[in-house]
Amino acid sequence: MNVCLLYRDSDRPGNRAYEDADNIIRDLGLKALFQDSARRLKTDSGKVLSVEEEDPFIAETMRRVMMIPLSSREEVEYRHAVLKDCIRHEDLVRTLYLISCRTLEEWNMLGRGGREKAQQVNPAVKLAESICALRLLCDSLREIRELAAGEDRESGKPLSEGFASEGFRSFFRRLREVFSEEREREALKVLEDISFFMDGGDGGGYRTIKARIVLECGLEDGLKFSSMKLREVSSESLRFFRPGTTMKKLQDLKYSRIPDSFPVDKDPRLSEQARQLEFSVVCSLAGRLNDFLMPEFQTFFDQLKIQAAFYLGAVQLKAQLERFDMDVCFPEVSDRRTLAFRDLKECVMGLRQRVHVIGNTCDMENTDLLIVTGANQGGKSTFLRSIGIAQVMAQCGLPVAAGVFRSGLFPRIFVHFTRREDSSMNSGRLDEELGRMDRIVDLIGEGSLVLLNESFATTTEKEGSLIAYDIVRALGEAGVKILMVTHLLPFAKRMYDERKDDPASGTAFLSAERTLEGIRTFRMIPHPPEMTSFGLDLFEEIVEKHLDGHGGARRE
Amino acid sequence: MDAMEKNGRGDAEFSILDPHGRHREKKELPAYFRDLNLETVLDEMAFNWGSAVRELFHYLPETAEDEKYRRAVYGDVKKEGVFRALEAFVRRTDEAEDLRREKEKVPGTLQHSVWQVREAEVRCAAMMELKEALDREELSSQGLLTFRDILRQKLFSAGESAVRERVNGIMKRIRAFRMVITCEKDRIRVEPGTAAGEYGTLRGEGSGIIKNPFAATPLLTDLEAVCLQVLTKKDPGFFREIREVSDMVGDRRDPLADRFRKEIVFYLSFDTFRREMEEGGFSFAAPSVTESCPFMARGLYDLALACVFRREGKKVVANDFACREGERFFVLTGPNQGGKTTFARSLGQLVYFARIGLDVPAAEANVPFFRDIQSHFSVEESVETGRGKLKEELVRLAPMMEEKRQGTFVVINELFTTAAGYDALIMGRRVLEHFIRLGCMGIFVTHLKELASAHEGAVSLRASLDENRVPTYVIRRGEAEDVPCAETRVKEHRLTYEQLKERLS
Repeated sequence: MNVCLLYRDSDRPGNRAYEDADNIIRDLGLKALFQDSARRLKTDSGKVLSVEEEDPFIAETMRRVMMIPLSSREEVEYRHAVLKDCIRHEDLVRTLYLISCRTLEEWNMLGRGGREKAQQVNPAVKLAESICALRLLCDSLREIRELAAGEDRESGKPLSEGFASEGFRSFFRRLREVFSEEREREALKVLEDISFFMDGGDGGGYRTIKARIVLECGLEDGLKFSSMKLREVSSESLRFFRPGTTMKKLQDLKYSRIPDSFPVDKDPRLSEQARQLEFSVVCSLAGRLNDFLMPEFQTFFDQLKIQAAFYLGAVQLKAQLERFDMDVCFPEVSDRRTLAFRDLKECVMGLRQRVHVIGNTCDMENTDLLIVTGANQGGKSTFLRSIGIAQVMAQCGLPVAAGVFRSGLFPRIFVHFTRREDSSMNSGRLDEELGRMDRIVDLIGEGSLVLLNESFATTTEKEGSLIAYDIVRALGEAGVKILMVTHLLPFAKRMYDERKDDPASGTAFLSAERTLEGIRTFRMIPHPPEMTSFGLDLFEEIVEKHLDGHGGARRE
Repeated sequence: MDAMEKNGRGDAEFSILDPHGRHREKKELPAYFRDLNLETVLDEMAFNWGSAVRELFHYLPETAEDEKYRRAVYGDVKKEGVFRALEAFVRRTDEAEDLRREKEKVPGTLQHSVWQVREAEVRCAAMMELKEALDREELSSQGLLTFRDILRQKLFSAGESAVRERVNGIMKRIRAFRMVITCEKDRIRVEPGTAAGEYGTLRGEGSGIIKNPFAATPLLTDLEAVCLQVLTKKDPGFFREIREVSDMVGDRRDPLADRFRKEIVFYLSFDTFRREMEEGGFSFAAPSVTESCPFMARGLYDLALACVFRREGKKVVANDFACREGERFFVLTGPNQGGKTTFARSLGQLVYFARIGLDVPAAEANVPFFRDIQSHFSVEESVETGRGKLKEELVRLAPMMEEKRQGTFVVINELFTTAAGYDALIMGRRVLEHFIRLGCMGIFVTHLKELASAHEGAVSLRASLDENRVPTYVIRRGEAEDVPCAETRVKEHRLTYEQLKERLS
């Protein structure tokens, strides 16, 4: 049975993960999101009591799920609905997560997924373990099935009626169908019939549990038992008498009247072989029970653990964001040429530095290329990152840190951020940058979004501008959406001059706002690129001031 | 047409590998096997058909007539229906052998009788099914036609039919026999007959078949033996009849069928391999052997390399060549890593597979008859023998140049690389002249470009490069030339506007 809380019809993503996932995580700083979503915030009426330790499984799951984009509005809304149910019933999603964790842990102790050679155990132990695993499976499935029958704390109605999402409704409905009470009874009956094997013949008190087995077979295989079929099996409780006692002798005498029969408990070899026969029958039944349950539930708990972890992570992440005054919204899916948001915040910075982050507002329709220029230290890179983070979160069905967020879905996202020189890089920096670009071009395809941050700044401005011009033009013509922050002003100016009078060009120019007094507001405003990025401001502020203080010469 | 009658030989004298039914002694691995990487190819064949097939490939048929006999048989084996029938025959015969081994473990018992009856049943069926399948096919090879005639005569003798009838009758009864075993209260009860119903739960989930825990041994366990005792008391007639039939059939082994089983896998293993390779896109052709036509091949490739490449999903480069009037020896020069050795190997393999009577790894080929194949590949200097490399080479070369080796096909890969250039050239020229005088043909891979024009019977071939001096692995006729040393290739990122337009289109 598929869990289908992440996707309507499958537990496997239809899309591939971002090819550039490692760079996306690194350049957008997503690790902070993964970690914070893995920590439970305990609150009491809005007041934070404690933050629990990070659950590495949740962090890893967030990383894996967030790196696989959804491909349609329906898929995104499907997750939104499930997530909204999770927000309403946080306890339920946590319980689902904990049950699957516990089940898998116990199952692993019962030798699931094989053991190492050194730990090889004898077949009888293995069989006993597999029977225990089947019992465990039945118990856990029943527990989950009965969760939905529980009571909703707020409304007092049964939980099953409180779900608004198709995902949860269908999950519990399918579980009731696939693991119906009848199916459970059947499984339990088999477990009961073979209990003589598990309970080691001990029937308690003066009783002993013995098997009763009827088999039919042929002789065609060289007179050996051939094509053996099981007709009956059950466990029967008999009176137990100590061997050698008169009562035991009487009991034996009574049983010896069974026609065409011979005793097996008098001869050690016969007795051993009779046990092997019983073992075969139990093995076969455990195997059949396995076939009866396992194909449906083999990976069920693995999937449930992953999917519950994702929603639990999402719920916890929302709480973390709200703790630092970052309100979230469920984003809207539009066409790929639209990008509009209100009060969008760079949440990684908010979570990590615990500072109040300035939100940006923007409304761009029919735009394929965004060029951001302007003052140094004006918040350009933060702005670009905030869009990138929100885009990744929106594409996997998470809420984003904004008042409103509307954008298209891009199956491929690439980031090309300028990097500090790395000791592991032995080629020149430009070469390294071009190498990364080369790889991106190799992977680019339908529905690509590229974020360029200070690209090609490792060579002269003139050369860098020419490289950027060629690449941006060629990518744009190939239908790639580009959001870029650049210091290459000759390039930005040239683009502006070519495109400012052509609304069909789909190009927008923003600039980091700087008041007349030189104060940076960290807001982006529509503005043509200027031939200065106001680095002089900074130069004055930092260098010259410093020099002043130390009696250095000052330029007039 | 009936070879057996014509030559007055018995059944066991019939061979599907040799028209005269000669037995070949076991032969050591020929020296050229390793050089031509034929072991790799044999590995593939042995993988599906067991390592016993290997030694069938270790010797070549003696005469051109023998080669033709095999090629005709292989022509028939390639037909789908014939292949399936022969394959089934081999499987059946192996099954009978397994049964024979079982029965020999338990002489004199009731179990022995049952195994013996079953073995007889399988052997009869194997021959009968093969005969019927071959009757449906259009055979054209002398080998298979003769074999079919022998089979027909064998199967329709009166004694044979009577045996078949009794064997089939008792086997039917054995198969139909059922009994019920009830385990309860530390006792086991056994009755002939069937029990109604099936274990009630989980119906439809699995067939209800229980694996016999004692199946690991073919012998009866104590439990099975005691159950059998109870049964023989209840139905003695049935078990007596089994013994009677078994005594009647006796040992059914047949020398003709045995030898045929051993030899036919020569064709089957190669054909299985050929089909797999053809699925991977590698072609094979039945070579022609016209002496009046030139030695030639089109689309020739190294089969051992192809085995490796097929697993990796890569393609091999194929080459064409054709000898002209009077040309005896190819002298191949070219850059390192340019495909020279591979070509030399593929040429050796071409001759080998043509000579052994099978298809060759090429799209088309004409291969005249060669008495044998000889090869000499340079090896790493041996520390163990303590001899210098040149000496080592000469020691190995000398026997190859004996008078009795005339008319062979010779593959030489890099001789005298450690000798001074002047010496090496003189030695190389002498070797070449010697082999040509012996009436041999072959290929000489060398760095010595002067060798290419050393003799009028020599043809100069060259491993070619493309315009960027990158090896193409294509081998062509051409003057030998000096080879440029290392070439540096500049890494480009292909990010100009034009390149991007092309990449993104």
